[in-house]
Amino acid sequence: MTMSVVTGTSTTTPRPVPWHRLAWVAWRHYRTTLLATAALLAVVAGFLVARGYQMRDAYAAVQACTPHASASCGFAFSQFHDTYANTGPLGALFVWLPAVIGAFAGAPLLARELESGTFRYAWTQGAGRTRWMVCLTVAGALGVAALAAAFGQLVAWYEHPLVASGIQERLHASVFPVTGVVVVGWALAAFAIGVFVGLLARRVLAALALTLAAWTGLAFLAGSVFRDRYAAPLVTSDQQMGLTDLPVDQWWTKGGVRATDAQINQVLQAIGLQTDGGGNFRAGPGSSAIDPVQYLLQHGYTQLTSYQPDSRYWPFQWIEFGWLTVVSVLLLAASIWLLRRRPA
Amino acid sequence: MTMIETSALGRRYGGDWALRNCTLTVPDDHLVALVGPNGAGKTTLLNIAVGLTPPTEGSISVLGGVPVGSPTALDRIAFVAQDMPLYRNLSVADMLHMTRNLNHDFDVAYARRRLDDVAIGQGHRIGKLSGGQRAQLALTLALARHPRLLVLDEPTASLDPVARHDFMATVVTAMTDDGVSVILSSHALAELERVADYLVLLTGGAVRLNGVVDDLLQQHLLVTGPAGSPVDPRWHVVESREAGSQRILLVWVDAPGASLPEHWEARTVGVEELALAYLRESPGYARPVAVEATR
Repeated sequence: MTMSVVTGTSTTTPRPVPWHRLAWVAWRHYRTTLLATAALLAVVAGFLVARGYQMRDAYAAVQACTPHASASCGFAFSQFHDTYANTGPLGALFVWLPAVIGAFAGAPLLARELESGTFRYAWTQGAGRTRWMVCLTVAGALGVAALAAAFGQLVAWYEHPLVASGIQERLHASVFPVTGVVVVGWALAAFAIGVFVGLLARRVLAALALTLAAWTGLAFLAGSVFRDRYAAPLVTSDQQMGLTDLPVDQWWTKGGVRATDAQINQVLQAIGLQTDGGGNFRAGPGSSAIDPVQYLLQHGYTQLTSYQPDSRYWPFQWIEFGWLTVVSVLLLAASIWLLRRRPA
Repeated sequence: MTMIETSALGRRYGGDWALRNCTLTVPDDHLVALVGPNGAGKTTLLNIAVGLTPPTEGSISVLGGVPVGSPTALDRIAFVAQDMPLYRNLSVADMLHMTRNLNHDFDVAYARRRLDDVAIGQGHRIGKLSGGQRAQLALTLALARHPRLLVLDEPTASLDPVARHDFMATVVTAMTDDGVSVILSSHALAELERVADYLVLLTGGAVRLNGVVDDLLQQHLLVTGPAGSPVDPRWHVVESREAGSQRILLVWVDAPGASLPEHWEARTVGVEELALAYLRESPGYARPVAVEATR
């Protein structure tokens, strides 16, 4: 037996493996994912930057148009609106990008180790599994947050002329979750869900699919239920609501009592207006002179609109970022806790 | 010092016990062979010993009283799991670097020298290596940590005979050069005969035989006598069979070297023979009757 072995048997606890060494392990682990995600973002960025500059030129032309109230300027603006307002399928893609960034880093983190059996290597090294897990989780979360923040900045830059011209509200579901700090929150949530689901599913593909499904469900809930409860929508009878405010609902009242759609339809049909059932009025033949809104206002009806004012953008951003971060941290902590107790 | 010490150790998966009531003491400076049929609990015992699986009941300590999975145990025990799981998309050099970064002490020079010896290029992707090369790489990564204890789970199961021989030669060299204690599980009894000097036999999740190979071989005899003749009271029959007018017993003897009764002949046994006898006689083993009749 050599001397080195004798010293090796001393019972003092060895110093833990330093973090900077583990950082290399994290870098090597995420390198491929990072390059792939960066490539995807580069393609999206290329598109956004090109179209963003195009839009800025068009917007500058619209703004330079004089006189501002003229019909030709109105036409120029509506053309600008038609060209750039509708992001279409692109908008849906953007809303999903934070999920893609987070899920592709998070879901394989544990699922791949468990699926390929390499956890038997990784968790029996001197660093130990907790240190390994903490390092990879923190590195992954930081990377995901940085990429998501960059993407959010880019979308915010792109959307700026649309927001400034009142075409797109900042609080709208196609802008709000992909800008500001919330975009980071949503990407972190995808990462954390991915890590947690990966530990339970133990298969990369299954973990990815489940993560994207769970994330989409949560995003849908947030948009349709949670976001209006951060603060009750304001109600106004003003016909000229701010362009940047996000309308939530609109209805008619008479004498303080809400009028049903059927009642309104009845009143308008009585004077020869036809409705399409969706609250939009069309003039019937021979009665084009009557403006239905003016007619209702003149006959004791009041139109009320509930809306979220644009000034709530940042409070809502921090509220949503806050609970998303809490959920993410809880999921990651639960993953580490489960991992320490997990039989191999 | 004891390498592994367990007391009434058990591990249950769902409703099934993979290991139960396992009490075992393995001294260091041995190459310990852990043998047993498939499902005997070998992998479970090793996974518990390296800290991957927490036991359901009982207690275990390693390296003379260190808790399993503790920083000290992780630092001084190197584990090579079944089928050598390594990151297939990494190059050999990256795998070396990763192992260096995951451990407190890692002898890079030693690892490079050993890889050169077995002609594994460091630029190769691990997924492209042969089974034998992958085994050598996994072993190199484990040995370059200069562990106190090397745990190998079925290391040669997927290797061809040449790779198997090379692998075991490396293990034996490491033992003699660096003083590493080794525990390896296997069901290839023949190759253990040449290298293992300590035998632990596990069947149905419990220890059946546990001792230094030389002692075990001294204590056991294969005795042959006329059918129907009485068994010497100093003999503890492990396995008994009749072949024609002959009665063949594998026995454990109280006093090795004592004289034999009349009409009985004795010869020493080998490791494989001994292990097989215990494996056959263990509860739950279904003896293949047809094979037995032709003996």
